[in-house]
Parts: sequence; C-alpha cells; structure tokens
Amino acid sequence: MTKRIRSKITRGSGELAILSLLAEQSLYGFEIAKQIGERTGGALQFTLASLYPLLYEMEKRGWVEGRWEANQAGRDRRYYRLTATGRKQLAPLREEWRSFFRALDSLAGVSHA
Amino acid sequence: MPDWRKLVRERMPSLAVNSHDVVTELAAHLEEAYDEATARGFDGEKAMAFALQQVPDWRALAENIRRAKQEKHPMNNLTKKVWLPGIAVVFAVGLLLLILDRAFVLQQVIWWTCMVMLLCAARSEASRLNQRTRSVWLPGFVSLTAASLFLFAEELVLAHDSSFYFTDISLRPDHLSSGLPRSFYVGWLLAQVLFGAVAAYLSRRAGGSHRARVLAAVFPAIVMFALWALVIPASALAEHNTFLWNHRPYYLLGVFVWVVPPAIALVAGAMPFLRDVQPVQA
Repeated sequence: MTKRIRSKITRGSGELAILSLLAEQSLYGFEIAKQIGERTGGALQFTLASLYPLLYEMEKRGWVEGRWEANQAGRDRRYYRLTATGRKQLAPLREEWRSFFRALDSLAGVSHA
Repeated sequence: MPDWRKLVRERMPSLAVNSHDVVTELAAHLEEAYDEATARGFDGEKAMAFALQQVPDWRALAENIRRAKQEKHPMNNLTKKVWLPGIAVVFAVGLLLLILDRAFVLQQVIWWTCMVMLLCAARSEASRLNQRTRSVWLPGFVSLTAASLFLFAEELVLAHDSSFYFTDISLRPDHLSSGLPRSFYVGWLLAQVLFGAVAAYLSRRAGGSHRARVLAAVFPAIVMFALWALVIPASALAEHNTFLWNHRPYYLLGVFVWVVPPAIALVAGAMPFLRDVQPVQA
C-alpha cells in the first residue's frame, strides 16, 4: 500500500471517528483523542499532532464547530460540536466505509463485523 | 508546572499559525497529557516527556495546521490575468532573442523582467505556497534577483570601461586577460551583505529554520557556483574554446572570486537574522 493511500485511509477513518463521537456529545480535543483510543481498544490513536490539523480542516469545511467553554475543572477548553453539515456527512461516510470493508472482505476475508 | 503556552509559542514560531486560539488549545492539550501522566505516577520530568511525545515534529505540525486553516481558493485574478500571460510573453520574446542571438542588453532586460514578474506572481499567490517555498526558495529567489539586477546595473554603469567585459561568461581569452575592475567587484561584494540579510529576514519571517535562512541567503552564491561549475565549462566545450582548459588557474580563480567571498558576504548579512525573535505574549 502506498504511503498516500494509507494516509487517505487514516484520514478518512479519523474523520468518521470524530464525526461519530461528536454526534453523541460535544467534546474538546484531548477528550476526543482519549475516547477514540479507549473505544477502539487503542487500535485508532490520535496524538495532538494528528488530531488538530484534522479538526481544523473539518471546522473549515463546516462539519464541526469549536466554542470555548469551561470544563468540569473550570479550565477553558475548546469544545467541538457537530454542525448540520457535519451530521449530513456522517451517513454517507459510514456507507463508504461499509462498502470499503465489504470489498476488502470479499477480496481478502477481512470482515468488519 | 511548565508554561505550556510559552512552550508552544517557542516551538511554533511560524507567524501563520501563531494565533492566540491555536496556541491556547494546543497548550491545553499538552497540559491534559501532562496531568494524565502525573496521575499515573510519573514524576515531573517523565510526565513532561510523555506530554511532548504528542508532537514528534513541531515544524510539520505548524505546517499542517497552516494548511488546514488556509482557505482554498483558485489562482487569483491578478496572477491569472496579468502575471502569467505577462511572463509567457516576456519569456517568449527573450527566447526568440536568444535564438536569434541579438540585442544582448535587451535580452538581459527581458530576462530580469521575467524574474521580477515571477516574484510578483509568487507574492500574489503567497498564501498557497508551502513552507519550503516560502522559507527557502522565495527568499533565495528574491536575493538572486536582487544580486543579478545589481550586477546588471553595474555592467551598464561601467560599460565604458573596457576591462568590465571580464564579466562576460563566455570567457573569451581577450576578456579574461583584461582583469577585473576593483570598484565593480567591491561594489558587488558589499551588495551581497544586503541581499543575504534580505533573504534571511524573509526566510525568518516565513518561519524558516536556521538552515533554511542560511540556504536562502547563500542562494545567489550557489547559483553562481553552478554557473561556473556547469554552464561555463559546457559553454567552452560547445564553442570549442580551449582557453579554459589551457588556463585552469584563471578558471579556478574565477570560481573562487565569484563564489567564495560573495558566499561569506551573504552569510555575514544573514547573521543578525539567524537569531530567533521572541514571540510577543498574547
């Protein structure tokens, strides 16, 4: 697999992961990275370096929206929430990944289930 | 507790991403990572190392954030309607003159006009350029254009002096033996200090590393070296000019005179701009 394709897959999976999380609740960057790591058993991990460029890109596209709020500890954090545009992206992205896994499954016996 | 905002600012000096919100958000993320590490029982130093593992390459992060935040837009109208057609026309005329081997001075005017227009086009599209182009190639090109224009201007001013033809790179024997006017060379050398400073300043402003600033500053000397090492021997071969091969010390002296002292002058000019500017606290 070329580096470019791998990078696109990583990016695509990151977008889906972030949109899916934010569809449930508003979160700030560190929480997003932490929850993705925990909920995928560490298979998908985001560092600061990989998370924020993607978040800012998604914000520029209007998929998510950041707003400064105080967290439970009283510290200012930038919470991201899904916008209506982002919500519209979620279903087609999910379908895209389903098709991708189905294709891989039929080819190499890699099941997403 | 480390000052995370200060740390982020210091490691991401690029002005393009040094916005208050980005710095605060990244600093908050590092702070959370640090707190998590201390909660796991790490001491201060190990917790700091744990937090900093989040960013293996700060320069790459700055560039990725700049790209992510940058608004995508098509090539702007000024570039599309003025600079690019202008460059194409001027380049074509220059090429035609080159083929016809006519009007040496006019050719030079056209060539440098082409370079200046290219710079204008690059400036017009500045927000679309990547970090290397903004911190190395563009400052280097500015410095090279300025150095070349200065050389050309000197040639015009000193044209009445027969010895001035030393600068003709075709290296015809009668030209080489004429010697180099001191005023011409000293003026050229002094100007390099200024051009080196301009290139290093532009590179630093674009967030260039020390290496990028030095590279941008010495760019004219690199081009001059390429000219002497490749173009002049190739030209001598093509013209069956044996002077170069029969008078190697002259040739080597030429390489030295046109490459080494100018490179030193360029670096000297760049020196004040190799220091990093302390970012202003928001």
